[in-house]
Amino acid sequence: MNAVAGNAVLEVSGLEKHFGGIKAVRGVSFSVRKGEILGIIGPNGCGKSTLFNCILGQLAPSAGTVRLNGEDVTGLRPSDLNRRGVGRTFQLLQVFPDLTVRENLVLAGQEHHGTMMGRLFGPRDAGLSDAADRMIGFFKLDHLADAKAGGLSYGQQKLLDAAMAFMGGPQIVLLDEPAGGVNLTMLASLKDRLRAMNDELGATFVVIEHNMEFVMSLCTRVIVLAEGKVLAEGTPAEVRADPAVMEAYLGH
Amino acid sequence: MSELIAYLIVGIATGSIYALAAIGFTLVWQTSQTINFAQGEFVMLPAILVLLAVKLLGVPIPVALLLGAVAFVLLFGVGFKRFVVDPMLPHGVLPLAIATMALAIIMKEGAKDGFSAEAQSFPSPFPSDAIQILGTAISLQFVMTIVVAFATIAALQWFVTRTRTGRQMQASAQNPTVARILGIPVERMVMLTFVINAALAALASFLISPIYLAKFSNGETIGLFAFIAAIVGGFNQVRGALLGGILVGIFDSLAAAYVSTSYRLAVPLALLVVIILVKPEGLLGRKEERHV
Repeated sequence: MNAVAGNAVLEVSGLEKHFGGIKAVRGVSFSVRKGEILGIIGPNGCGKSTLFNCILGQLAPSAGTVRLNGEDVTGLRPSDLNRRGVGRTFQLLQVFPDLTVRENLVLAGQEHHGTMMGRLFGPRDAGLSDAADRMIGFFKLDHLADAKAGGLSYGQQKLLDAAMAFMGGPQIVLLDEPAGGVNLTMLASLKDRLRAMNDELGATFVVIEHNMEFVMSLCTRVIVLAEGKVLAEGTPAEVRADPAVMEAYLGH
Repeated sequence: MSELIAYLIVGIATGSIYALAAIGFTLVWQTSQTINFAQGEFVMLPAILVLLAVKLLGVPIPVALLLGAVAFVLLFGVGFKRFVVDPMLPHGVLPLAIATMALAIIMKEGAKDGFSAEAQSFPSPFPSDAIQILGTAISLQFVMTIVVAFATIAALQWFVTRTRTGRQMQASAQNPTVARILGIPVERMVMLTFVINAALAALASFLISPIYLAKFSNGETIGLFAFIAAIVGGFNQVRGALLGGILVGIFDSLAAAYVSTSYRLAVPLALLVVIILVKPEGLLGRKEERHV
């Protein structure tokens, strides 16, 4: 793993998270290379969400470090990580229901500081209108650009959610269960768009997911977590063939 | 006919004042789940502060208006948020609502003891000359009240929907967790809504007191009407609160004229009952769901 550390966008090493006596994450290390789609899977309660929350600054890790392009970002606040180029989606939707699709995207790409006067009288799109429209085109939401996000179907909101995470040109995007609750048709188009994001624009991302098929067909590399530790790592085919993985998933 | 037009215009004028109070009410609800039962007292007090400034400091009216508005916004915009909402909200929506009821009593009794138990006349910023509208003589005061209130609401609507700060405010209300992650200064945005609420209340106070006189007990009716206006229009919409305010104002005005002044309070309440039965999310409201 350390062999690739040179061009690693995200590097997690020795990450631990304890809640009282419970060790939810026990020394997890991995790195994500530029242009890679890394999947993290594992049975319920294996520590996936805790791991994600530690990386994203929602929880303070008990030990270990998180590096972004070689820089230590362990324990930074979520908003600081966002500013440094870590985009994310949520298990539950993150859209702003009363704003339009385009407004949601502009808001997601904006720097939220500056002077009072600038924020009052400056261009409210901060030159992001074009970027938002490109993202709308890319995620095929053209016909919905001016619709309120709250009126979209769940699957469409998931697409918007993913599009928002890619606004502002992030270094890496972490997707938290993007397939959860999405119907099969939408799932196919979500997968198609994420893959295109990677193929055409070289986007790097990490996907946490329950849906094995979704992860196996989308990701270039997969990590399997069990009981807070890395159980297996490799290409989807290698992981699928791993007996330890079968054990963890299919029973004791 | 001309009588009806006059009552309608008076109704729209008072209704637009209720709308100012109702909009403030919905804003603080949206950003911090504060149900401000002292909203009526918020509209009562600024006028009293102005009269106090005139009495104690001997300043001219325009200066007193400015002093009263600034003092009120500091005390009941910033101060209310810092010293009532912030300490109470972590304990839940209900304790906070009860705290605002207590605040209403303190404000009311404070105005009675600290100023006067009698209704005091309050100077109108507008001339009371009558003008002709559709063949009916209407006091310019009502017309100007409508103009000022509508201009204020239009400016607020522009601010909320067309500026970056306004969008950040909306985002903070709709999804504070994500807004925070995007780097939006959510706390500052919430404070801003409290400042706007206090400023709207001060304006409502300065507009309504020349009509109904300044009295410590004014808040009871105004608060009730603003509350009804907010619910009738839809609790989560500026436009809804505007529509609700106007409807309540017209109902109130017509009820006082054609039904009976003793039953006038009951008519807007009846409107409220009908709306709750027929369209509980309000005329322009959006259904709200909360995950608990």
